[in-house]
Amino acid sequence: MFLFSKEEDSPRLKQLRALSLFSTLSPRELKTVDGLLHERNYLQDEVIFDQGEEGQALYIIESGKVLICRQGRPTEGKIAELGPSRLFGELALLDNSPRAAQARAAENCTLAVLFRADFLGLLETHAVIASKISLQLARHIGQRLRETVTAPGSQSE
Amino acid sequence: MNRSSGPVVWIGIIVSTCLLLFLFKKILWLVVPFLLALIIYYFLQPATHRLVLHGFSRKSAAAITGGGFILLLLICVALLFPWISSHAVGWQVSLARYVEGGSLLLQKTMAGLETQFSFLERASLSRNVSEQMAGFTETFAQRHLADFVLTVAAWLPSLLLAPFLAFFFLRDGRRFTKFIGNAVPNAFFERTLYLIHEMDKTARAYFQGLINLTILDTIALAVGLWVIGLSGALMLGLVCAVLAWVPYVGSILGCLLVVLVAATDFPLDPWMAYGAIIVFLLVRLLDDFVFMPLTIGRSLRMHPLLTVLMIFVGGAVAGVAGLMLVLPLLGIAMVVGETVGLIVTDPRLQARYAHARRLRTQQAAADLQA
Repeated sequence: MFLFSKEEDSPRLKQLRALSLFSTLSPRELKTVDGLLHERNYLQDEVIFDQGEEGQALYIIESGKVLICRQGRPTEGKIAELGPSRLFGELALLDNSPRAAQARAAENCTLAVLFRADFLGLLETHAVIASKISLQLARHIGQRLRETVTAPGSQSE
Repeated sequence: MNRSSGPVVWIGIIVSTCLLLFLFKKILWLVVPFLLALIIYYFLQPATHRLVLHGFSRKSAAAITGGGFILLLLICVALLFPWISSHAVGWQVSLARYVEGGSLLLQKTMAGLETQFSFLERASLSRNVSEQMAGFTETFAQRHLADFVLTVAAWLPSLLLAPFLAFFFLRDGRRFTKFIGNAVPNAFFERTLYLIHEMDKTARAYFQGLINLTILDTIALAVGLWVIGLSGALMLGLVCAVLAWVPYVGSILGCLLVVLVAATDFPLDPWMAYGAIIVFLLVRLLDDFVFMPLTIGRSLRMHPLLTVLMIFVGGAVAGVAGLMLVLPLLGIAMVVGETVGLIVTDPRLQARYAHARRLRTQQAAADLQA
């Protein structure tokens, strides 16, 4: 019976499933991804990454808010303010291009971080998980593109 | 990540490699099993990855490959132990025979040289060398056997650690990355993760390169020795390839071994021994100019001059252990040094770190300021 019972989500897995990037993963797949994620805490106004910096990781907001802005201009150069479950820095997962904007903690926040090398490793060892994440990532980038087209000037990285 | 390390960083890399070698020489009982564990880990890693790819969890895959390796090792020891005990006497005889064959070849070579050069004959070179060889071989066992047995007994427990360490590396390697990542401040977090990844990549390339190099050396030497008609060519090739893990000293020992076997198997034909030396030298040349650049050389991306210099430094600082350890240590010190150099000399990262510290101090003291 134990072998065929449905796996229940632990609070941590429920928290991960709430993140848009991992919403299509099964509990077992979520456990695998959880093993790769790093959790970081930032204080309000702390810099997460700078514009022009070489990106190595994608960030997902677990709690708090993050400001995406032009380098050193948090007020007048504001591009977007992202809340829980949103992700940013996703282009770092796809290429080595420099960060297109600065990210700062708009309030105390907790972020889950997926390092590029781990994601590339996932593509080799767990192709199904990586393809589900890639599909979510593509949807996310598509949504960003639509937002840019409908409201020019609101693009972030 | 762009790299432009200056002379200060490079001096730091070389000095820290020497310091590490000096330190490691003091804790060799731990370093050697650790190094062997790393070799086993990188040897088993592709199989573990393949199992993960086929749907096994990382823990199960590590248990299957690591456990399988330990089981195989135990079976080998269980099978070999009675075999070794029953053949020990025979080996003693064989060893004496090979030493005798070697000294006979030396005598013949000396005699040949004496006929060519009269000053060697006047110096009684052949007789002196023979007397010294006889004295050395007669007392060798008495002087060194007890030490050898004691050394093996002392090293055995720590060497048995290696497969167990390798199993835990396979199972919990990722936790280590997370643990290190959690310990560094936010400002240096991405660079540190990159550093760990690069270190793993360098070490993997080095140790997998070493395994590939051993296979290539074994095949090349076995084929060469088989062509000239020497017995046990494959075993000799394998032993020489493993001995070659120790730069220079290992190659000399390997050459000596091949010559002893050739001189004993063909006592009336000294050209067989010379032929074996030529084959050995050819394989070493192939190793240095073809195999090494294809396997290990590529992995460490080091200048050949630096490699040779550091091998001498390693030998001078930590002896045979230093010869073995210096290249992997230098490779890792290069990655760490270059990345730490980038972090320390990056004013923006330092400023971000200082800013984050200020924010944390303010938060910690928020209710105390009133």
